[in-house]
Amino acid sequence: MPVVRVALDVPLYRTFDYLADDATAADVGCRVKVSFGRGRKVGIVVAVGEDSDLPRHQLKPVDGILRDLPALPADWFRLCEFAAAYYQAPLGEVMLQTLPTALRRTDPPKARAIKPKAAKAATAPALPELTADQQAALDALGAAPPGFAGWLLHGVTGSGKTEVYLRLIADTLAAGRQALLLVPEINLTPQLEARIAARFPGVPLVSLHSELTEAARLRHWKAAFEGSARIVVGTRLAVFTPMPELGLIVVDEEHDPSFKQQDGMRYSARDVAVLRARGLGIPVLLGSATPSLESWANAQPGPQQRYRLLTLAARAVAGARLPDIRLVDTRRETLEDGLSPALIAALEARLARGEQSLVFLNRRGYAPVLACPSCGWVSRCKRCAANLVLHLKDRRLRCHHCGLEAGIPRACPSCGNQDIHPFGRGTQRLEERLVARFPEARILRVDRDAARSRKQWEALLEQIHPDEAAGTPRADILVGTQMLAKGHDFPHLTFVGVVGADSGLFAADFRAPERLFAMLMQVAGRAGRAELAGEVLIQTEQPGHPLFAALLAHDYPAFAARELEERRQAGFPPYTYQAMLRAEAPDMADSLAFLKAAKALPILAAHPAVFAYDPVPMRMARLANLERGQLLFECGARPALQAFLADFTPALAALPAPGRLRWHLEVDPLEC
Amino acid sequence: MSDTASPPDTAAANRIVFAGSLSEKKALRYTPAGVPVVEGRVTHASEQIEAGLKRKVECELGVVALGETAKLLNAAQPGQNLRITGFLAARSRNSRQPVLHVITIEFLEGNENAQTLWQA
Repeated sequence: MPVVRVALDVPLYRTFDYLADDATAADVGCRVKVSFGRGRKVGIVVAVGEDSDLPRHQLKPVDGILRDLPALPADWFRLCEFAAAYYQAPLGEVMLQTLPTALRRTDPPKARAIKPKAAKAATAPALPELTADQQAALDALGAAPPGFAGWLLHGVTGSGKTEVYLRLIADTLAAGRQALLLVPEINLTPQLEARIAARFPGVPLVSLHSELTEAARLRHWKAAFEGSARIVVGTRLAVFTPMPELGLIVVDEEHDPSFKQQDGMRYSARDVAVLRARGLGIPVLLGSATPSLESWANAQPGPQQRYRLLTLAARAVAGARLPDIRLVDTRRETLEDGLSPALIAALEARLARGEQSLVFLNRRGYAPVLACPSCGWVSRCKRCAANLVLHLKDRRLRCHHCGLEAGIPRACPSCGNQDIHPFGRGTQRLEERLVARFPEARILRVDRDAARSRKQWEALLEQIHPDEAAGTPRADILVGTQMLAKGHDFPHLTFVGVVGADSGLFAADFRAPERLFAMLMQVAGRAGRAELAGEVLIQTEQPGHPLFAALLAHDYPAFAARELEERRQAGFPPYTYQAMLRAEAPDMADSLAFLKAAKALPILAAHPAVFAYDPVPMRMARLANLERGQLLFECGARPALQAFLADFTPALAALPAPGRLRWHLEVDPLEC
Repeated sequence: MSDTASPPDTAAANRIVFAGSLSEKKALRYTPAGVPVVEGRVTHASEQIEAGLKRKVECELGVVALGETAKLLNAAQPGQNLRITGFLAARSRNSRQPVLHVITIEFLEGNENAQTLWQA
């Protein structure tokens, strides 16, 4: 009787053999229902043969091979195998966790028949005229021979990167292939989806992201898998979607940290996308106004060059230019509720002209902490090494790390003083002050608390940029977090004021300046995207910081060159390669003891190219009652690090650990 | 705070009666839990006997009222004469300056604060 080798979603680095009397070689890539332990699971057949390492009588028969879908294709297998090997994750976890939940259920819910939407017989719109930069980029892309090519599209904000994507997608569709567009945020998908749908009327388009219902995600995934969907727009999880005729992958805002999965298999969807394109021999285009330094380094001429660089240096709308960015030295100004006279004057001028402003503060809530001025008590989270943030609107204290919530205490729990104060400033407080300062203005707060659901977010968008016909009044002043910094096009927005950005200048993480620069460049890029000129004021106490010099000049290449040189001198990525082992347990001593034991494993000595730091508590040492430690490995070459990890992970799995200790290994960690 | 409350005699050792005119009043505000707070300053002037001789004294004290007393203090006009009983507490950890916390508040007419007001 044939033996099937099955990958299961269990944290074990192995596959499992079962008997299946009706199995044939064609079943490789099919889902299979099996009993596992005391329960049942859905796995994937990775091989069919006659042999097993176990004696026959120990093998259990499968409950049934599921042949409702075509077998998963070989290129998808290769992609999962690579990801599992590279990210040190069990193959079964990778394969199963990248499938829609509905396909992993042993008893899938009955699918309702969905009436296919009648495709509107809209005519294709007239194409906008290309700028010289766009044309040059498309010419270069078009001139490349077929096959794998990595492209980095560096386009300043508002330079029309999306138009380049759309033209490429059009070419791909015309060649009879499918296109995959990855975006960082679900929030970006409705706008982008609408824009793509309008450009390609009648072309089947699906989206894939975590906010879809289980049924919708399955339906969309199937459409991509069966080839009926020609365009797939999705967040990082979409990178694993099998697509039989995939001809192009585009990664928009490729620098965005949300392409990195932070639990389960910790993969970078951008890097997986590049690898997938290489495996399929198709082009991959990474686009950003502020590319990640890793991608930028890969696009520099030299022996290490992996991507070709395309540049869009000017804004696409005729007459639109990059906004003037100026600094306000807050050491010399008297601030009114944290706002400088210059910023207030700029808001007044926009109000008088009927234009829109954005005050950017990347901290939600009313105040980052509630404190007692008499005794020094502060609202700490009892489960984390963090403060509870005051959300005055909901009358709650919330931990932004573990989600713990508490009511606002009537009095200081330590000394009884009732007159406890919110300290510092969040978006809710800023909104309150702006309402008091500009009572006649329509002020709209846009952060994750105001836009909890997609519906709320769409309602906010409608107020930010109303449909002229609907007659909704347009908001005058937006108070927003980084939610507003990404990719949006608000033509009436002409002024951006940035408050409280300095904390990013001196953070301990070596990537903090890169993130701050990207965030400021992106948020500044919201101003003046159409004909109206844009102005940006950044309040800072560090006007002499070199980061600002590059920002004021809109000179990302200068910033990147300086930052890369610092990284090279310090031996940080992208000039070294890192892997992070993290352990968490109720007691820090257990976490650190485990990491110490891991560092003492003899495997490390066998890989002299790999350097191990000392185990230390993580910067956020306590999260949700778990105390967390980290052990960082560094190596000058990726293959050497991979060779080490391949030996190290099995040894790690065999290392004894206290029952309540959990550990994971992250390759190319974004936070150290 | 029952477990750490002072014995009654130490609480009584911080009981002030202070009268004067309301010289400054800030806008009513609320604690995050919604308790109203009003802060102000009360200027006192009187004649006192010191070492057997009469003298004029003037002083000013910050006052703070919470809850019901905050509403009363908020109703007072600047210049209004008040008699406040309360206790002293440091303004904050950083400033040890005493502030009078209101327990009761009485509105006084004219000069009837049982003292002869010194007229500047």
